[in-house]
Amino acid sequence: MPSRFMTKSHENYRELVMRIAKTDFKLRYHGSVLGYVWVILKPLLMFTILNFVFSSIFNFRNSGTPYYPLELLTALLLFQFFSEATMTGLMSLVNKAQLVTKIYVPRWTIVLGSTMNALFVFGMNLIVLALFFVYYGRIPTLGGVAMFIVYALLLYILAVAFSFLTAPFYVRFRDLSTIWEVLLSVIMYASPVIYPLTSLPVRYWQIILLNPFAFIVNYSKQGLINNNYTTFWHFMAMVAGIVLAGVIAFLVFRKYEKTVAELI
Amino acid sequence: MTSTTDNNSAASKKDRPIAISVKNVFKQFTIPHEKISTLRSAFVNFFKRNSYESFYALKDVSFEVKKGEFFGIIGRNGSGKSTLLKILAGVYTANKGVININGLVSPFLELGIGFNPELSGRDNIYLNATVLGLCEKEIDEKFDSIVAFSELERFIDQKIKNYSSGMQVRLAFSVAIHANREILLMDEVLAVGDSNFQSKCLREFVRYKDMGKTVILVTHDISTMRKYCDRAMLLRSGEVVMIGSAEEVANGYIYQNMSDEERRVMRDQEMARIKEQKGAKGSKAEDAERDGDGGKAVVITGVEFLDKNGKPKNVFVSGDDMSIRVYFKQHKEVAELNFGLAIYNDDGNYAFGVNTFMDEVDTQKYKKNGYCQVDYKNIPLRTNSYYVGFAIYGDNVHNAYDYVPRMKSFQVFSKDKNFGMVNIGYKWN
Repeated sequence: MPSRFMTKSHENYRELVMRIAKTDFKLRYHGSVLGYVWVILKPLLMFTILNFVFSSIFNFRNSGTPYYPLELLTALLLFQFFSEATMTGLMSLVNKAQLVTKIYVPRWTIVLGSTMNALFVFGMNLIVLALFFVYYGRIPTLGGVAMFIVYALLLYILAVAFSFLTAPFYVRFRDLSTIWEVLLSVIMYASPVIYPLTSLPVRYWQIILLNPFAFIVNYSKQGLINNNYTTFWHFMAMVAGIVLAGVIAFLVFRKYEKTVAELI
Repeated sequence: MTSTTDNNSAASKKDRPIAISVKNVFKQFTIPHEKISTLRSAFVNFFKRNSYESFYALKDVSFEVKKGEFFGIIGRNGSGKSTLLKILAGVYTANKGVININGLVSPFLELGIGFNPELSGRDNIYLNATVLGLCEKEIDEKFDSIVAFSELERFIDQKIKNYSSGMQVRLAFSVAIHANREILLMDEVLAVGDSNFQSKCLREFVRYKDMGKTVILVTHDISTMRKYCDRAMLLRSGEVVMIGSAEEVANGYIYQNMSDEERRVMRDQEMARIKEQKGAKGSKAEDAERDGDGGKAVVITGVEFLDKNGKPKNVFVSGDDMSIRVYFKQHKEVAELNFGLAIYNDDGNYAFGVNTFMDEVDTQKYKKNGYCQVDYKNIPLRTNSYYVGFAIYGDNVHNAYDYVPRMKSFQVFSKDKNFGMVNIGYKWN
């Protein structure tokens, strides 16, 4: 059994993770004219296009979803958050190869730090979301906001778990990023992001909500807009599932991170 | 991963605590014949076995470094020294064995310590100092000192990608020493950077050592190791050849290089012989040219160095017996034949010379044998390369039949702990 004893390998994980995250944030829009304006502009542009298409053509607004633009924006932001966090997490070890091969940093800090960028961006976009809620005159209840934050955190844990699970394998198989890109769009269309769940026949609801992303998107916007929540046991089952996924992902990560430096 | 074995601080400080202990460490690398980085090739390879080759970069390596020691790791390229350092730094994981590190490590591997080329020097300092365990406040405090040491004040807000490799190393080294950790791992730092900076680094090492910190230096520069290391280890193809004082290990390394050199020279000679037997023409023509060289009466055709058993050899240990045998050909009968032999060292200094004229040697048997041989007992030469010059003349020393000033070189390796060109027998009184 190979083993390695050390008094301490590193003393300030928190600072390390934050530094990696900050560095990423700095590099993100470097070299672009609008810079950080893109953080807000990108989801707004997406929203404008989708809102135009789906409000005027499919007319969700007048068929039982009066606050369709709010639902769309909330779901879009959550989706963008999830897709960005998983994508950067998946590629984190390869993109930060210099921290893997030239020096020792606990590898999990690299993965975690990389995903945090998406969290920052999401946080900034929430300000825009709040302004939209005010504009449409729909002030969410305290419970709705609290649940939204809980769901956002759960989504982040899910994204981090995915990153831990896949990052060491992306080093070996670079196709994973392309595969995940495709799967992300599958996930988007299989979840109530651009359409409300209610537009589907009721018999499909349970199947769709088995997908944790769909569950989170659906109930976070339901909570914010309609003050409508899931049952306690459904919620607990999802929390347990995500926590379990996180633990398994981390264990897998610890097993496979060992050879990462040789393979990059 | 297990947590630390309680390192009892109660243990007396007289016998210094161990900073690093490595026990029976193996490291195996698998080299796919074709790098697999897509699922498709993984799939193809699943059916096509034997596309892996594995080799051990480290084989059963064990050593200990005490706290406050300056430990050198030396070896030729591919001996596994950088792999070992990467394992100590935590970048690689050993396949087998136990590594015990007592204290925080500041590694300095290859070029740069994880610099991001798109970031400015300033941002990279913050990133790397954090990686090395400094908190923001500490970095703020040390920032000016880091920049000053690297002498990069003017360039600190430029992107690292615009830095020269020497500048990058300066900055990286500066961050690494300011991290102020207990153990410093240094890999070939002195290869890049100008001599000014090199000596600055080495002074810094000494200061580190004086502070009671542990330094591990990987190098193939023998003089650096001799000068700074307390102890050292010699690696060869992943195995520990020797661990001992820097001087011992330096000698071992030189000796190893020399025996490699010996083997290379022997192989070259063997190849030349085979070529001669096969083609024959090329070298024969050369011989003829030498033979016909102005119609010389006597021509020197070759030289051989022999050990005490009469076996050809090119590398000797100081104190060995050694013979030099020079072959010649006589084209015309000459009345008197004299031989002179000189040994020069690599710097061109005349080390030793003799001739048969002065020594009044009867050269008739040499005529018969076709060679002349000088035997030396216990050669007192110290470590260096030497070459021999040889001359054949009649009764007039200044009018040689043939003279080759630089014929062939041999190497001497000295195990003695003294300096200079020759080892003169001595005793302290």
